[in-house]
Amino acid sequence: MKLSAFVLAVGLLLGQHALHAAPLSIELQPAAANPAAPQMGDNLTFHSVIRNDGAGPVDGLIAWISLVQVDKGKEQPVDLEDWSAHKAVTAAALLPGKAIETDWPMRLIKAGHYRVAISAASRTGTHLTTSAFADFTVRQKPVVESRRVLPVAFGIPLLLGVALIWRRPRRGTGSG
Amino acid sequence: MSATTLIARKEAGELLLSPRGLAWLTAVAVALSAFALLLVSNTELSLLDNAQVVYDMAGIVTGLGSLLGLVVGIDAVAGERERGCLVPLLLAPASRSAILLGKLGGVAIAWAVMYALSLPYLWAVGSTGQNMADGMLVCGLLGTPIVLGFGFFGMGLGCWTRSSRTALLTGIVALLVAASPLLLGPGLRQSAVGAMFDAVNPFSAAVDAYDAVIIDSQTIAAQGAHILVAAAWIVLTLVFARSGFAKVTR
Amino acid sequence: MLLEIERLRLSIGGTQILGDVRLGLEAGEIYGLLGPNGAGKSTTIAAALGLRRPDGGTVTVLGQTAGANEPALRRRLGVLPERNGFYDWMTAESYLAFYASLYGRSLARPQIAARLAQVGLAPRRGQSIGTFSQGMRQRLGLARALIGNPDLLILDEPTNGLDPRGRREIHDILTGLAQNGAGILLCTHLLDDVDRLCQRIGIIVDGRTVAEGPIAELIRKSGRRARFRLRLAGPRPNERPAESLVSIVARQDDWCVVDLDPAARPDTVWRELAFRGWPIAEIRRDGGGLEDLYLTLTEGSAA
Repeated sequence: MKLSAFVLAVGLLLGQHALHAAPLSIELQPAAANPAAPQMGDNLTFHSVIRNDGAGPVDGLIAWISLVQVDKGKEQPVDLEDWSAHKAVTAAALLPGKAIETDWPMRLIKAGHYRVAISAASRTGTHLTTSAFADFTVRQKPVVESRRVLPVAFGIPLLLGVALIWRRPRRGTGSG
Repeated sequence: MSATTLIARKEAGELLLSPRGLAWLTAVAVALSAFALLLVSNTELSLLDNAQVVYDMAGIVTGLGSLLGLVVGIDAVAGERERGCLVPLLLAPASRSAILLGKLGGVAIAWAVMYALSLPYLWAVGSTGQNMADGMLVCGLLGTPIVLGFGFFGMGLGCWTRSSRTALLTGIVALLVAASPLLLGPGLRQSAVGAMFDAVNPFSAAVDAYDAVIIDSQTIAAQGAHILVAAAWIVLTLVFARSGFAKVTR
Repeated sequence: MLLEIERLRLSIGGTQILGDVRLGLEAGEIYGLLGPNGAGKSTTIAAALGLRRPDGGTVTVLGQTAGANEPALRRRLGVLPERNGFYDWMTAESYLAFYASLYGRSLARPQIAARLAQVGLAPRRGQSIGTFSQGMRQRLGLARALIGNPDLLILDEPTNGLDPRGRREIHDILTGLAQNGAGILLCTHLLDDVDRLCQRIGIIVDGRTVAEGPIAELIRKSGRRARFRLRLAGPRPNERPAESLVSIVARQDDWCVVDLDPAARPDTVWRELAFRGWPIAEIRRDGGGLEDLYLTLTEGSAA
């Protein structure tokens, strides 16, 4: 009897743990229409599928996009303020076997190497679920052409400076 | 040659031929160059593409032009008074109106030179961006009454205050107050007080017109309301300068 | 009268600066305007020039009320103010050309050069004014004052910053102008200049004219005799004939202290004494002249 009770208790415990473990899975893929070699100013889209692989519903689901820069020496999280207005998606409940598909558009603001991931959590879950990283590289795009700016930026003050030196009063001799 | 023309030519010479005037122009050019170089080195600004850059440069040109106009205006009266040059001019056989018009002409020439200096900068940063030509035009159209207004304001301050230092301090504070909506950001501009101030602020009128034409691609002809505010500013400051100059005795 | 001021009253910022100033300047005359610092000389000049409006009294300049028909009146005026500023970036030549144009006179380069030569600035005509010394600026200011060939000249400290030779040159210019019919109002602290140049003076103290008229007459009215110390190179001749010219006050070795009649001109008296055999080697003033008069009249005023 005691053994049965013990086995039942362990079984219930394991079952509860299984119930509250992450039943979610997230797939993340770049959109097919994304440019092959994106540069600053381009738009990229990532497509995610969040699936409930568990036996029960996932209540209060929230999924969000995260972006990090991974250039050597410049590793840092990126504030998505200017990159994207679409930062999260929510669902009241995700039934077992169902999936939520979401597109994540972003405008490329700064050159560098980046990794993007989707993370998800629920109201009652105990673990965070993340997708695999999608990596991309943004090429530099000069908007202001230095070959125009540099001659003007240095040339005009230089010309005025020469005029200033030329017009400075030269000391004469003699007194009144 | 009329007294007005003679004096305006003299004021222009003060700017273009004197070490002091050339130093002012050089300082303005260095400030424009610093901003232009900042644009070259900044890799994030391209988010909003060339239109933003041309808009920013037009705003800087108007701001610096207003500062130059203020300094030239103050120097035309208070500076000359302190150097002892004003009394001989007042005692010359020229009417007060002619002398005043000549000095106002000097402020106009200062802005013309400054605007001409700014065109290469606008061209350089404009690159392949949108609305560069319209941007240059609207900068001239709105910038002129704003800058001249600050010049006339400076002249009036030079007449009414005892020293050029007091006039300069007062003028710079006024300029900062006029530019404050731009420094404080869009949120505060949308508050009730901010909106009221914006409605009468000539600086806001100019910058809003630049935004409309350069970034939003509106026509210059559609900027009538902004032009009206700028026109009111120049008329008020002209009256201020005229009333002050009539009372100058030394 | 080129300049006539009667019972002039003027306040600035609620403070009375002038209470009762009078002044009269004829053509061909050099009139000295004297007074301690803060007496109101500059304010009187400002009123004469129409820069300040009087509270009372009359100011008549070249037959017109000061301030009326200003540009036409100013065309006949030449002014050298005390604070004399210039456009330092200009050359002397271009500066004078600018003012000549303002005065409605288109002067060619040789004429400008002649004007500068008149004040001793011919060698400096192409130099920028920023390199000028104080004395050179003063000369240029005088050239500017003369640019319109004025009928009335008002000069405030015209020999400021000039060496003795420069002062003498300016004196000669002013004397020449007066001889040609110009009237000159000379405001200065240098009593030697006044003594040498002026026929009449006015002394202002605390905003009021305390003395006005010919110098000799004012000294005579003050009751003071002009006293001099004469060093003689030899024995004095018989003194009796000299009594009509001088009163001998004291004698010591080769020095002789004499008083002159205030109405007598000293240079005339010395010439006459020399003619009568007095071996005068040196002459020094020993009181009783313009300086004594000035110090007496301005004693106790705020300076």
